[in-house]
Amino acid sequence: MSGRTSKPTVGALRETAESSAAPVALTRLAWTLFAASVAALVAHVRLGGPWEIPGAVAVDGLTVLLWVVATFFSGIVHSYSRRYMAGSAHETDFFLGVFGFTLAVMALVAADHVALFWCFWLAMGLLMARLIGTVDGWPQARAAASVARRYFLASSALLGVAVTALWWATGATTVSGIAAGADALGGPAWLVAGAALVLAAMIQSALVPFHGWLLSSMTAPTPASALMHAGFVNAGGILLTRFAPVVTVETGLMLAIVVVGAASALAGKLLKTVRSDVKGELGCSTVGQMGFMIVQAGLGFFAAAVTHLVLHGFYKAYHFLSAGDEVEHAAPSEDGHEPDGTGVAGAVVVLATGVAGGATFALLTGKGTSVDSGLLLAGFVTLTTLHAARSAVRRTGLSTAARYGAVPLVALPAIAVYALAYRAVSGLLAGLPLVSAPTELTALHALVAVAFLAAYVGIETGVHERSERLYVALTNAGQPAPDTVLTATEEYDER
Amino acid sequence: MNAESTTGDDADATGRDGNTVEDEIDAAATAVGSVWPVHSFVTANPLAGFEDRPFDEAVSRAAGLLGGRGYPRAKTFRAALDEGRIAPELLDAELTDRGYDADPEALLERLETAEETDESGGAGGTEGAAPAAERVDRVLTKWLSAFLDEGRAEWAMPNREAGFYEAFRSVAAYDDEIPNTGLAADLPASPIEAIEAALAPYPRDRWEAVFEAQFAALPGWTGLLTQRAEDGGAWQSAYPITPAGYLAARLALADAFGVDLSPPEESDGPAVEPSDEIADAFLSAWEATYRDGLVERVAAEGEARDRGSEARGKDGGRADGGASGRPDAQLVFCIDTRSEVIRRHVEATGDYETHGYAGFFGVPMEYTGYDTDVSVEACPPIVDPQHRVSEVPGDDDARASRDRWADLREAAGEVVQTLRSNPATAFSFVEGAGSGYGLALAARTLVPGRVRDLLAGADDAVPDDHEFCEPGVHEHDASNEGLPTGLTRDERVEYAATAFELMGWEAFGRLVVFAGHAAETANNPYDSSLDCGACAGNPGGPNARALAAICNDSEVRAGLRERGIDVPDDTVFLAAEHNTTTDEIELYDGDVPDSHAADLERLRADLDAARGRAARERTGQEAEESAVRETERRAADWAETRPEWGLAGNAGFVVGPRELTSGLDLDGRVFLHSYDWSTDPDGDALEAILTGPMVVTQWINAQYYFSTVDNAAYGSGSKATHNPVGNVGVYQGNGGDLMTGLPLQSVKAAAGEPYHQPLRLSTVVHAPVDRVTEVLADNEAVTGLLDNDWLSLTVVDPTRDHRAFEYEEELAWAPVPEAAESHAEPRTAPAVADD
Repeated sequence: MSGRTSKPTVGALRETAESSAAPVALTRLAWTLFAASVAALVAHVRLGGPWEIPGAVAVDGLTVLLWVVATFFSGIVHSYSRRYMAGSAHETDFFLGVFGFTLAVMALVAADHVALFWCFWLAMGLLMARLIGTVDGWPQARAAASVARRYFLASSALLGVAVTALWWATGATTVSGIAAGADALGGPAWLVAGAALVLAAMIQSALVPFHGWLLSSMTAPTPASALMHAGFVNAGGILLTRFAPVVTVETGLMLAIVVVGAASALAGKLLKTVRSDVKGELGCSTVGQMGFMIVQAGLGFFAAAVTHLVLHGFYKAYHFLSAGDEVEHAAPSEDGHEPDGTGVAGAVVVLATGVAGGATFALLTGKGTSVDSGLLLAGFVTLTTLHAARSAVRRTGLSTAARYGAVPLVALPAIAVYALAYRAVSGLLAGLPLVSAPTELTALHALVAVAFLAAYVGIETGVHERSERLYVALTNAGQPAPDTVLTATEEYDER
Repeated sequence: MNAESTTGDDADATGRDGNTVEDEIDAAATAVGSVWPVHSFVTANPLAGFEDRPFDEAVSRAAGLLGGRGYPRAKTFRAALDEGRIAPELLDAELTDRGYDADPEALLERLETAEETDESGGAGGTEGAAPAAERVDRVLTKWLSAFLDEGRAEWAMPNREAGFYEAFRSVAAYDDEIPNTGLAADLPASPIEAIEAALAPYPRDRWEAVFEAQFAALPGWTGLLTQRAEDGGAWQSAYPITPAGYLAARLALADAFGVDLSPPEESDGPAVEPSDEIADAFLSAWEATYRDGLVERVAAEGEARDRGSEARGKDGGRADGGASGRPDAQLVFCIDTRSEVIRRHVEATGDYETHGYAGFFGVPMEYTGYDTDVSVEACPPIVDPQHRVSEVPGDDDARASRDRWADLREAAGEVVQTLRSNPATAFSFVEGAGSGYGLALAARTLVPGRVRDLLAGADDAVPDDHEFCEPGVHEHDASNEGLPTGLTRDERVEYAATAFELMGWEAFGRLVVFAGHAAETANNPYDSSLDCGACAGNPGGPNARALAAICNDSEVRAGLRERGIDVPDDTVFLAAEHNTTTDEIELYDGDVPDSHAADLERLRADLDAARGRAARERTGQEAEESAVRETERRAADWAETRPEWGLAGNAGFVVGPRELTSGLDLDGRVFLHSYDWSTDPDGDALEAILTGPMVVTQWINAQYYFSTVDNAAYGSGSKATHNPVGNVGVYQGNGGDLMTGLPLQSVKAAAGEPYHQPLRLSTVVHAPVDRVTEVLADNEAVTGLLDNDWLSLTVVDPTRDHRAFEYEEELAWAPVPEAAESHAEPRTAPAVADD
């Protein structure tokens, strides 16, 4: 009987069909763009730049860096979607949207003329809104797209106001021209432009209180969300970096940037604590991370902000693309904080590890080696390493080597890798008008530091959880726009 | 004291209809089908609450209440007709029965017109109709998702231990989205009071209808909470929720938002729409076409088998347990449709007997793995677990090495978690870890197969739990609270004997393998829907190991001998797990004695060969090696939304000896349960199969059916926009109601293109008709399902020359005409000549 290979079949199922050609072609094209961007980056490093079409386009270090980053994410999203979106009625539309978005971003970071810059800024927003509404037969997706579109139109309008004011004040029609003439800026025109720029960046990066569009955007197919959180929201930081000479004119504005950034960083993280849906959690986390990135810009470390948005992009894209993994069968925990098993020796090790982390960071990046706003950044690293060491040391079940050695062993190289990335980015951005403008420490900086420390202690002790009012407020503040919520599942439309 | 559990007392206290209100609430809650947490997805009929009505009436009532379609679209029927899956003469007969004599195409056009009016009218109606009711839904989904969260949010809803109503009362005071008017402004202490206050303006006799409509408003969350309330479980004991508590919150909100609660009037129209009647005819004809093909083949094989057994002895052919022809090994698989494919290929590699048995292997246990505090109910949802079985660790070295790794991994996970969740550390963490994520991003997207190899290599370095643990089936201890731990000797003998009696076994080979099954998928919230349905959406390996341990027990063997089941001393039982995604079968062979090493070696090689062939069949690739690689890629690829087809395509259930089907290629569409009527004179085994496995397969079948015909209302939509919530379910997009049922990619090849053929289950039983009638007469529930057309039953009667009889209703049978040709069934080879 083993010789029989074909048996009579009863009711064989249909063979499944294959999909269209556009996804394949666009995926190849996206990776080709990546290769070309890498080549451009190498050429920039070797030959130096910038290359420009005067008055219209300027390809500098920031441009080539973001080309490489944007096309990398785009390539990943294309390749991922080849399988992920297979069989979707919107497959071709989706690929066209993603590819179009990639081109818009590439053009934006190369644009020098303010009109071009503004056009691509708008185009990028409209394309992203379209991606949010990819499933166009679904009323909630359409509603989410229109919420996003309203925000993006507002940010474009603000950008329009800003560049018009700057053009009026400096007479320059290019971003580089405005930067060159920024020293002479001041008065109401500068104030209008500066405020409008900051507001546009806040909307784009979904900072509190403009986070509504981001938390209502989960109707987008997962890879589009990955692109949004790894790429699109970063444009706020890029905007501030491009117009750094303008926003750094007055320290007051820089302080304001630090404050709105820090507020978002803390609020985003707090909003996240009460969310139970995976993508909502990730969205709140992005609000926080973008807040931190804006803080770095406000402290005058634009290269650090750019480094952060690239690294955060990797992190967040990964978490979106693996969102489906986030279902586990858990048991209700007998909540009760674990006993403090640190001990004196442990405390010394923890402290030493933290200080070593901060020192490594300061030495390798140069941030925090002088008494300025860089200290704040070194402080974050110290606290993080310290925290990691503390939670490892408390695990008495581990071997001694693992308890005391693992964190330094992992954290110090990780800090070194970060420093490497930061150095590379700084090097690339060296040609920009302004990439590093550490500000003097003020009382406000101290206040921000205290706020973070308070949040650290609060979360560690769980003291904030005593306020039910806060719980309800956070829950409500993180809700998506009402008409983007699918309460009657039969309205969902994707056959 | 929590309010949820005191509702009953309060109801008495308020007097009047208190108890009746409670009863009515419970009755109304059944209108919504149970929804299980997605981590242990149970395939069940979403219309389970309507199964006491005829199918056509049930789907139309459910359409009114839940807004879902009940029949496939005209487009689907047309495709089936074009592909020859619906025999024209059978369609003709079905249409004539219902009084239609128009041309099928004209009728399909009528169906299409009806679909269009439904969609324009229906969707428009629900969308803008009641903004106030939508507000109620939004507030409720917000708090339900917070309350029912199983460990996802870092900051859980306050006061959950007091029960849902109480917790809701307390947050409502601060929630400015709830108007401070009506009942919500001052919620009564007891849910029943709140319900009675809210419904005071409505006539008492309409209350149940109000309840039903209110439960049906958010069928996803309601289905989950009623299931949770009924099932108990760890989360329910810690944070209780009751249907009454939910209803009270809902009605209070409705009062606050000014929603008119009047239930829809019962319509005076016909119980079944004419368009549904037409669809029903097409569906029935499609089913009949498939069924006739299946029944005819099975009957023919049965006859051939009879003839063969007369001639047996001369050619020494494959003896069914005859002492002379002991098979190389006997392998028992789950009745799952996916087993059909691998069984066919295993049989082709050597002299192997394969059998079908419910994948929980008859051991109804609550199982706890090694080093975990989560226990799962590893048995079908229609069976209550009877025993608590945990892993009992042995081997110290392997265990220590495993523990070291687990501790390290857990510590690393915790450090990452604590860094991510603290606002002061999350940012630097992301900067430090970002580059690593970048690498992982590229690797998992571009070379998923390599990543799997890498992880598998790392995994192999650490001992698996089954390598140093024994399932704790022996030590019986009933002293603790709740279920007893372990099994008594009698229970062990009983489970072993039942298995062999149900499958009709009389002889044993040297190796007997119990193969449970589990799927391997990445990035898939629905991975448990691909695990073993008979183990309530859990991997089947632990159950297989439990039964193997039971059968290897010398006490049990002695007990079996007393019951007339003689297991030879050289028979070794071992467990295995069939990976349905890659078709790899992992043998848990740690306890196999050296005397059987050669047998084991050969079996392993043959299983490997069978795997290659099965992979080739499933992937359609020519070379076995690349086919296997492809299945491995699918298993590991995070971008893969269709890692395997699961039970898609399921349409039939054959109860009988494997010889009836072993000569056929059933394309993974048929559940197979081994059964031998000749060893079951009093029909006990048959009764167990028809009331157990048949009901479970009907649930699975109904789940696939409804997820296919309406993937929005009864399925969970496209995976591309899924958003998992609270470890219990999945949203589409931003939130709202939970999606229920299977994702679009599990049942459709592409949007609008079903892969699963939505057919109700066709059961074929190989047994004397009278015996089946007796079983049905004793089991009203099963007979009710048959009478209401939720599935069909055909008997191939070995005592009447293998003639087929179709169940009609009220225990009456109609003989299937002998000449039932293989109609227009595609790709069906001409009957193998038995003359």
